[in-house]
Amino acid sequence: MDFREKLISAKDRVKLPDVSRRQLLVGGAAAGGLLVAWTLWPRNYATTLVPGEAEADFGGWLTIGRDGVVTVAIPQLEMGQGVTTLLAQIAAVELGADWRQVGAEPVMPSGLFPNLPLAADWAPLWANFPSLADTPDAWLVDRFASAQAFNATAAGTSLAAYEMPLRIAAASARDMLVRAAAERWDVVPEECEVADGFVRHATGGALRFGELVDEARELDPPDPAPLRPQAAFEQPVLGEADAQTSFPRIDLPSKVDGSHLFAGDIRLPGMVFASIRHGPVGLPELFRFDADAVAGMRGLVGVVKSKRWLAAVAESWWIADQALSRMRAHFTGPGALEQAVLDTDLERASEQREELAERIVEVGDPDAMLENAAFVRRYEIAPAVHAPLETASATARFVDGRLELWMASQMPSLAREAAAKAIGISAEDVVLYPVAAGGSFDARLDKQHAIEIAQIAVEIGRPVQLTWSRVQDLQAVPPRAPATADMAAVTGADGQPLAWRARVTTPPFMREMGHRLFDNLVPEAARAESRGEADELAVAGGMPPYGISDVAVDHVPASIRLPVTRMRGGAEAMTAFFTECFIDELAAEAGRDPFLYRMALLGGAPRMAECLRRATRLGEWDGARSGSGQGVAMVRMGSDPQTAGHIACVAQAGMGGGGARVTRLSATVDIGRIVNLDIARQQIEGGLVFGLSLALGSSVRFENGHPVPRNMGALGLPRLADCPDIVVDFISSDAEPFDPGELGVAVAAPAIANALFAATGLRMRRLPLLSEGL
Amino acid sequence: MSRMTVNDRPVEFLMDDDTPLLWALRDAANLTGTKYGCGTGDCGSCMVHIDGEPLRSCLVTIGEAEGRFVTTIEGLSGDRSHPVQQALVAEQAIQCGFCTPGIVMAAAALINRNPGASEADIKAAVPNLCRCGVYPRLVSAIQRAGRVARRQERISAAPAPGISSEDAAREVPALAAPPEESGRPEPEDR
Repeated sequence: MDFREKLISAKDRVKLPDVSRRQLLVGGAAAGGLLVAWTLWPRNYATTLVPGEAEADFGGWLTIGRDGVVTVAIPQLEMGQGVTTLLAQIAAVELGADWRQVGAEPVMPSGLFPNLPLAADWAPLWANFPSLADTPDAWLVDRFASAQAFNATAAGTSLAAYEMPLRIAAASARDMLVRAAAERWDVVPEECEVADGFVRHATGGALRFGELVDEARELDPPDPAPLRPQAAFEQPVLGEADAQTSFPRIDLPSKVDGSHLFAGDIRLPGMVFASIRHGPVGLPELFRFDADAVAGMRGLVGVVKSKRWLAAVAESWWIADQALSRMRAHFTGPGALEQAVLDTDLERASEQREELAERIVEVGDPDAMLENAAFVRRYEIAPAVHAPLETASATARFVDGRLELWMASQMPSLAREAAAKAIGISAEDVVLYPVAAGGSFDARLDKQHAIEIAQIAVEIGRPVQLTWSRVQDLQAVPPRAPATADMAAVTGADGQPLAWRARVTTPPFMREMGHRLFDNLVPEAARAESRGEADELAVAGGMPPYGISDVAVDHVPASIRLPVTRMRGGAEAMTAFFTECFIDELAAEAGRDPFLYRMALLGGAPRMAECLRRATRLGEWDGARSGSGQGVAMVRMGSDPQTAGHIACVAQAGMGGGGARVTRLSATVDIGRIVNLDIARQQIEGGLVFGLSLALGSSVRFENGHPVPRNMGALGLPRLADCPDIVVDFISSDAEPFDPGELGVAVAAPAIANALFAATGLRMRRLPLLSEGL
Repeated sequence: MSRMTVNDRPVEFLMDDDTPLLWALRDAANLTGTKYGCGTGDCGSCMVHIDGEPLRSCLVTIGEAEGRFVTTIEGLSGDRSHPVQQALVAEQAIQCGFCTPGIVMAAAALINRNPGASEADIKAAVPNLCRCGVYPRLVSAIQRAGRVARRQERISAAPAPGISSEDAAREVPALAAPPEESGRPEPEDR
């Protein structure tokens, strides 16, 4: 469906409503419980907190039961990043609940839970006129995100999107509980306090939430909601990394005993299991297969073929997968991708960069200054696979024209719509039960498996579960885009950069992803549709945080024959590699300490400078003398320096018998106000490990359209024994909170590359490092 | 015919002998805590104990497991009480949780055998892949589990499943046990 035209008609634009004044809806959702929900202009959206017998309209942001249990709606996908705990904590703190009385419930997509900041960030991917939709409070953004039930989980937007709505809902609930208690005690509400799940009065009265809900639900919601002066906040204490957390993650007990259900763990009566084969890259269409090879095969339930895949369905996944192997599916198309072709495509685009380059950012007049005597370097990034441990999986049941779908999706409303369209029913007849993802790293933005499971379920007529094999997950999830950067600078008398240009040759991978996700195009069509287009999101973060008077960031849109996409860290993780390796080379050229060289350029970025200074202290910086094995890198993420996230990292690395070995990563982080310190620490640690995996492995080559290697073991992914000592410090700050999930990913690779230069004297300008040998 | 003991129960799988134990456990026994991550022995998500040894169930057929004692994550403690389970939760050494059952089984086999395991022992005994990056917490968590196993420390981080409302209310003042007649609340406001 193309919602773009619908959204932009002039008729609509004249009646701009005041969207900041949403109405609260209060009622009794669960028996005797208190429900706090929103109604949204222009229509009421079905709320989805408590899926009931017939998915009737009830639910909202949070409910409180007579037993005192507080249930918080989680409209974001839990992928391990801790969002379930984070959002529940925000509501609990605002409400004044005891953490042990708080539960969380993932909710189905609904217009009630729009992710406005992400819709604004990604406006170029869905809006005809992105300039009308570039801020979260733009009317067009609200209209789009609400109407499309756009509650996508990506790019670190969860807090920005959901903290305030949750706080308002919880503050409203608290206010009503207080008024109910005050009425009972015949005191003024202002004399009551709420903490630990009780409303208390100075005279000694104390009532549980559960005792008050029946009266509270009869009251009108407050307007405005009386927010507490301080949002949820944890103070980092230096050297106290091991301190007990006050808000332990609520998803861990079920994860430690195997009872946490992922999409492939759903079991339904009469359910059967499906495996699938897709064509190699460049041969997308099913050509032929040997159906006779599985005739009479024990346990086989059926074979389902589609234009683009072949699936077998059986009593166990193993039988289904064996059946597929026997049927030897062949695929056809324009031609299987070979590595040489991929390299040539990128090389050709890079050679034509003068003609193809589109200027994305320009400050001053760098081209004039760069005309001659520029210091130039080229960096490369190979395609990298996401390789989450859970492969694409989904479970479905199709009964009476209605599809139930269990899956982990970062874009559930679009997955639901795609599944509906694939089998010719309306999206309202698809119920998507959100289940947690076993990692994603943005692999689960895509939704092919939603379409496939829908078609298989209809064809087979029984509940069915689809699990992609590892090979299929490596092959059919588009990898992170390859890129080449031609960096140029002119330096002054003391070696500092006066002009800087980053010219990045990469496919317009964000636009391509947008066509797959928002327009439901197949990978080849999405690639064709975005071909040759400049893509500002594909070079995001290209603007260095340094004080340089003349700067340009160019995008050279490469046309390659490989479908590509985003990965955790985003374009910022790619541009950070270019920027931070290049600045390191400039420092070396100037014969300066790379830390002090950077500091001299950070006069206008005090938070970044402080972060960098403290990271070098934490990492016992020794000036990166030759042979030291120490390297430094820093990243500022976010377009507005006031609300940006900052990380600086000192890496210690060297060459060992088995190749590069990273022994220590010391990072200092400024993410503004920290909601949950230990989850933030997990995210930085995990980000650094993921960045390490991209620095030293994760890449694939293509042979005959197949990614090589075809297994997890040969991808060079770090294991426990390879994990460096990781030390993380947080800077105390009351700036706007910034999501910590992608910072570590971006900073690790350049820090490690710079450390290997200090260790070996060799500059490695290609990711993964050492992929071309020494 | 493949008969074995799974989580202390006798089991006969009516599947081909060459079926990997992983799929017999998941699809026939519905023991879905054992995860499929690769099928080639690379990731360790499918680790179970066979006669006490941590093995990748994707590489063992049910024919080979004939007559042996298999323990899966579901059967490790039944109530999350194994020291490794408690320590992983206490140290928050879990993110998405998909690799967790395999890591728990690998670490539990080590701690059961050698509760005083050194850092090097732990790194050698836990080859599992984790993409979220819990590695920085694993060594200290598993060493802590070792201390618990040696009765030098106690942890109660992960409560046992299935706590009754009455017990919860005794522990948490803000909670009240629901009256007898109400089960799960039904929606009334449609």
